[in-house]
Parts: sequence; C-alpha cells; structure tokens
Amino acid sequence: MIDNQQKRTEGAAGTTDAQKAPQLQPKDIHKEFNGNTVLSDISLDVNAGEVVAFIGPSGAGKSTLLRCVNYLETPSSGDLLIDGKPTVKIASKPTRNELMNLRRQVGMVFQSFNLFPHISVLRNVALPQERVLGRSRKEAEERAMELLTRVGLGDKADARPSKCSGGQQQRIAIARALALDPEIMLFDEPTSALDPELGGEVLAVMQELAATGMTMLVVTHEMSFARRVSDRTVFMADGRIVEQGAPEQVFGAPREARTKKFLEAVLER
Amino acid sequence: MIEAIPFLLQGLGTTVIITFGSFLIGAFCAVPLALARLSDIAPLRWLATAYIEVVRGIPPIAWMLVLFYGLGRYVTLPPLLAACLALGAVSTAYLAENYRAGIQAVAGGQWEGAGALGLSKGDTFWRVIAPQGIGVALPPSASYAVGLLKDSAVASVIGVSDIAFRALTLNQQGNPGLPIFLAAGVVYMVVSVPMAVLARKADTFIRTRSAV
Amino acid sequence: MFEQWIQWLPGLLTGLQTSLAVTGLSLLLGLPLGLLFAFGMISRTRILRQATILIVELGRGIPLLVVLYVVYFGLPDGGIVLESFAAAVVAIAFNTGAYTSEIFRAGLLSVPRGHIEAAQSLGLNWTDEARYIVLPQALRAIVPPLMSYSVIVFQATSLGYAIALPELLNSAYQIGSVTFEFLSVFILAGLIYAALSIVVSRFVDAIHSKTAH
Ligand SMILES: Nc1ncnc2c1ncn2[C@@H]1O[C@H](COP(=O)(O)OP(=O)(O)OP(=O)(O)O)[C@@H](O)[C@H]1O
Ligand SMILES: [Mg+2]
Repeated sequence: MIDNQQKRTEGAAGTTDAQKAPQLQPKDIHKEFNGNTVLSDISLDVNAGEVVAFIGPSGAGKSTLLRCVNYLETPSSGDLLIDGKPTVKIASKPTRNELMNLRRQVGMVFQSFNLFPHISVLRNVALPQERVLGRSRKEAEERAMELLTRVGLGDKADARPSKCSGGQQQRIAIARALALDPEIMLFDEPTSALDPELGGEVLAVMQELAATGMTMLVVTHEMSFARRVSDRTVFMADGRIVEQGAPEQVFGAPREARTKKFLEAVLER
Repeated sequence: MIEAIPFLLQGLGTTVIITFGSFLIGAFCAVPLALARLSDIAPLRWLATAYIEVVRGIPPIAWMLVLFYGLGRYVTLPPLLAACLALGAVSTAYLAENYRAGIQAVAGGQWEGAGALGLSKGDTFWRVIAPQGIGVALPPSASYAVGLLKDSAVASVIGVSDIAFRALTLNQQGNPGLPIFLAAGVVYMVVSVPMAVLARKADTFIRTRSAV
Repeated sequence: MFEQWIQWLPGLLTGLQTSLAVTGLSLLLGLPLGLLFAFGMISRTRILRQATILIVELGRGIPLLVVLYVVYFGLPDGGIVLESFAAAVVAIAFNTGAYTSEIFRAGLLSVPRGHIEAAQSLGLNWTDEARYIVLPQALRAIVPPLMSYSVIVFQATSLGYAIALPELLNSAYQIGSVTFEFLSVFILAGLIYAALSIVVSRFVDAIHSKTAH
C-alpha cells in the first residue's frame, strides 16, 4: 500500500513553482434547476495527482458538481478551467467540439455502473477507444485486455456485463473510462450500490489508481476511504463548500458546526 | 369550395352514428364473448377464440363488403346498417379481448374470497370482479372507439353518406380534390383528437386512482 | 364450393402478391419515416418537435382511407399524379410512419438514461451514441411491436380496393362481379387475410415470450 501522506508531500513539492496553474479549476460554478439553486458559486483548485473526496448530506449538490465538471449538467454560470485554460467559452452554451475535448480529458464512473448490456465486457472497453480516439480494433482490444487484467478481470472479457457481479461491473466501468487515457477521473458514489465486500474490490482499484498519480474527484459515503485515500476532503451542504482541508483535519478537528454535526451523525452508524 | 363545407359536415352525423352504433354493438356482444373465451367448457372457449382471431384477422373493409355484397343475394341490408353490423362484429372481437384482460387482471384471490363469503358465481362476477376489471378494460376500449371513428370512413365504399363519402362525391362533381379531402381529414381530426385526449385522460385518471 | 375456390385461387393469389408488395414497400418507406418522426418528437429543438408532433397527429387522426383519397384524388390537383399502386404505398407509408413513431419513441426512451450519460461522458458523439449504444438496445423494445404492426399494414392494403388497386380484396370483388358468388369469394379472401394475419401474430407472440425470458 502506498502511503498517501508521502505522496501528497511529493505532489505539493511539485506544484510549488508558481507558474503552474492547478490542473482543474471550477470557478464560481452556479447551477439552478427551474429556479432552485443547487450549486451556489463553487470554486475549487485541484492540482495534478490530487485525490479530492466530496462528502456531505444527501441533496448537498455533490453529484451535480461532479456532473458539471464533465458537462453532463450544463452550469447556469461560471467557468471550468483545465490547466488554466477555459474549457468552454460560454459556460451555459458549450459547443460540440468543446464538449468532445473536455470529455476526452475527463473520465467518469457512475454509481450504477452503466455498462452497455448488449455488448461484451471487452467491447465495452474497446468500443469507445475506437470511436473516440480512432484506435484500430486490434489496438483498442489489446489495451482493453491490459486494463481488464489490471483490474483483475481479464477472464471476464468475453462475458456480457450482466454475468458479472456489481463489483466486477464497476471495475470494468473504471477500466472503460481509463482506456481513453483521461487526465482526470470523476467517481460518483462508485460503491453505494454494492455490498461492503464488493465495494472493497472497487475501492482497492481506486486506491491503486490514486497511487499512480491520477487526479481524482470522488463523491463518497465511505468515510474511511475518504480519510485514508484522499489528499483533501471537501464537505458540502446546501450547494456550498462548507469546509475543506486535509482529511485528518476535516475528520479529526472539523472547524464548522455543520461538518461536526454531519460527521457525528454518519460515524455513529 | 366554401359551399362544400356544410355538405361535408352533414356527413358528420352519419360518421358518428356508425361509430357509436358499432361501438354499442361491440360493447354489448363482447360480454358473452369474453365470458365464453374464459369459459371452463372447452368447445365454447375454442369457438370464442376462433371468432376473435378470425374476425381480427380480416380487415374491416372486407367485412363491409361481405355484409353488403356477400349477403346481397339473400338479404339487402341498407348500407348504414351493413356498416354498423360489420364494424360491430369487428369491435366485438377487439372489445372482448379488452374485457378478458380486465377480468384476468383481477387477482384470483378475489374469486376465492368472494366464494368463501358464500357469494354465488354470478354475484361474484357482477359485483366483485367486473367493477374492478372495468378500470383495466376501459382505457384501451376508449382508444378503440377512437380507432373505430377512423375505421368508419370505410363505410363510404358501400355508399354510406358519411364524411369520406361526401368528400368523394364533391370531388366527383368536379370540385378540386386536395382541399376537399384535407377538409374532410380536418373534420375527422376535430372529433378524433378530443376523443383521444379524453381517452388518455381517463387512462391516467384510472391508473392514478387504482394505484392508491 | 371448394371446386370454385380452387378455380379462383390463382386470381386471388395474384391479388395477394400486390397486397404483399404494397405491405413491403410501405414498411420499407414507413419505418425509417417513423424513426425520423421519433427523433423529431424527442428533439431538443422546439420548432422541430412541434412540427413533428403536428405531422404525426395528422397521420394518426385522419382515417387512412381519407389519406388515400388525398394522395390518389387530391394530389393530381397539385400536379402530382400517382397510379393506384404508388398512391397506396405513399399513403400507407405515411400512416405507418405516424403510428410507428410512437413505438420507436418508446423504444428510444426505454434505454436507461445512465447508458446515454455514460456514452456522453466517454466522449462519443451524437451519431455514435445513437448507432452503437441507443439503437441496438432500443431495438429489443421496438422489433416485436413493429412485427405486430406489419400485420396491421398488411390488412390496411385492403383499402386499396377503394382506389381500384388490384390487391386481394379487389381481386375477390372482381371475381364476385363476374360470378355473382360474392359471399363465397369474400369468405375465401377473408380466410387468406385471417390465415396470414394469425400466423404472423402467433409467430410474433412466440418470439416475444422467448425473449421475455
Ligand atoms: N435534473 C434535476 N432536476 C431538478 N433538480 C435536480 C436535478 N438533479 C439534481 N437536482 C436537485 O439538486 C439537488 C442536489 O442534488 P445532487 O444529486 O447533486 O445531490 P447529492 O449531494 O449528490 O446527493 P446524494 O448524496 O443523495 O447523491 C437536490 O435537491 C436535487 O433534488
Ligand atoms: Mg449524488
């Protein structure tokens, strides 16, 4: 197991040089659904290689924020910067090209896996590479096989997703996203639909990924995972970031009463 | 052209008569047919099934010609009656299937429950099963009535003076066909669209009510 | 009676060929139209959506026979003259498009939202998403009702009688008007309609109960 403490200090050392902008910067992201404000002016700096965990009560806007980062939801206003450059000129009106570019750099893993049920596991991982990156079928399937083996599922390549357990499906979904060589990975409650044991398999894969230096934004209800693996924990409530900091601080000595109350309620269970 | 509109509209009554007439025939005759279809007596069940399958397998316009020309040798039916009977025979088959679905949707436990209370079979059916089944059978039957309105245009081929027939007549008298037939189409729409909306409303109403 | 039937059968089968040809061509043109209408109905462009809904409502609200009259008797006023065969195909194809658009739409909407989001988050473009993810899955929900609908199309070809298309019903009528055996020949024609319709329906049911497992 990699000591994330150590990794973080290395990461921090790497970004001390002032010229380098954070890799991902949502700036004043505001989102409304039919007049209801769900995110109010969220700003965040995420450095390359950083693992940021988002925790908070249901309805806090965690999923919405994550979905704004790859434009599955279009922010009502705000900016989304990658490497200091805006990804979308007019935040509320992304062009097709801007979306394609953004999504090439950002991979996403969903709570409900969302594997395509009508094609094999291998094709699930290979098809997007062929269509999005223009890789040949052979190349794409080789890369798919490599990633499936890495998540421990090389033997499932020819099976249909429905023949795999939930934990296996989620690992396949991770492989599928990784196959496109994203720079940033988003995880929206990747283990919530899983039994603890199967969730463990997925968390292990994610922890390994974190150790490779992937930038990760993880919405999770797994407090121990957030505490153990994240470099930074962000607590959200009511569409705002209430507090953020090193996990030891947020979990060990929360500054805000709202955070304290939430953690007490969650950790009691 | 404008003078043609009243002439066309006079056909609306006939169209409505065919629609309602054949729907009434169907709604009524479908009851024994649905019961026969679910009967314990095998030959009765087979006969009912055969009627339903065969009648639905033959297009309404063919029934129209059978009753009008086919029976013409034996009895001469007025075209309007022939049209109502033909579409009535067809709607009997379709509505019987709706009724059957309604009856079968009521849980088997209801029969047993009513039986345990000492209700007779007839009482059980009419007082327990049928009222519950209506919710299931009504919405598709209402949409069927909308379909029947459109099928009624077929009566024009045996000379029933409905909207379609009057449009055809006007055209043959030398009026331009395009506006005439489009006007006829609009008249049908004016009746069928509200009917369809009503049918959909009834459907959602019954669904939400029975969901509680 | 059976001797007569055997005598009439060749004539009726020629008519049946026409009926089947109209059925096939109407489906060939009507189904893509239905898919197009379905995309139009779920389009995000409001004008497109409303225009499509209007066309579809017209196709569903006007009796097919009247549509047939429009195409056969009405279009010549606009300079478009179609013979009965082409007129029947055009009218029935339009009708098919209007009715099957609902089947396509339901099929497209049956694909879970999450799969579409997954496709988008992977960066697939609109056409790839439709071609590789949405349509293959939607087809499962679409094919059985479309096969049932083909029976309706087949039966609808009998309306060709009204514009003197020499299809099955008209062939029966022609034989009747020569022999005056209307009842007998209509029964035979009816049996042919019923036999084909029942066989195809049974086949669809069989497939349906098989895929339901
Ligand atoms: N498509 C939508 N339309 C309308 N309201 C929405 C939509 N998506 C989310 N919301 C609302 O936005 C708010 C935030 O939702 P979001 O899913 O982001 O919360 P969350 O923090 O992820 O909660 P959970 O822990 O339950 O997943 C909720 O009040 C929700 O009802
Ligand atoms: Mg969420």
